[in-house]
Amino acid sequence: MDARVDAVFEALADPSRRYLVERLASLGESTPTELARELPMTRQAVSKHLDQLEEVGLARGSREGRQTVYHADLRPLRHAADWLERVGGQWDGRLAALCRHVEQRTELERE
Amino acid sequence: MRVEREIVLPVGPAEAWETLTEASHLQAWFANDVELDVRPGGTGVFRWDDGDVRHAVVEVVEEPDRLVLRWDDDGLVELELHDHPEGTRVLVRETAPEWGLALELRAQLAWTLA
Repeated sequence: MDARVDAVFEALADPSRRYLVERLASLGESTPTELARELPMTRQAVSKHLDQLEEVGLARGSREGRQTVYHADLRPLRHAADWLERVGGQWDGRLAALCRHVEQRTELERE
Repeated sequence: MRVEREIVLPVGPAEAWETLTEASHLQAWFANDVELDVRPGGTGVFRWDDGDVRHAVVEVVEEPDRLVLRWDDDGLVELELHDHPEGTRVLVRETAPEWGLALELRAQLAWTLA
């Protein structure tokens, strides 16, 4: 939850980690052993990627017996998308108003 | 994470700077009521008719090229002015506050509104 936005995007810059987030989200939950079967990767390599995803808040692991079960957590992405959409929309509106304001002034001066 | 936008205003840099920094102009496009002390360390208050209020501190003033404001939630707004054949190109960049802090503020806001 405390991960910074940049770190979230950096974690997703890697195609294997993107795949893992997507798979966890589709499956609901999974383990490094199961995920390693789908990828040309060892269980250790998958675990390492999952650790990185957990660090930025995109996955959550919980110990169940001898293995760790992981869930995807898409909240960091949702917050990022919300922010980009909200702030981008605000600036689109403001800059359109700024253009109108400057054009009106220029016209008044001409008259 | 940041949002970037740019437009070209059909006026010279001095006039463009005025519209971006003077309260009387800012009230025409940025917010409904604006107080802004355009000096490094100066404060700004932006009020919108829907009840929203945001506070800012002026970080950088380089007339007529650059103005930087920091919102009280730690987000940053940078305005840059560049010469353009048709007037002045205005580049806006807003950088998101740190993630953890943003979530905290959101939680506080939800609490206040509840």
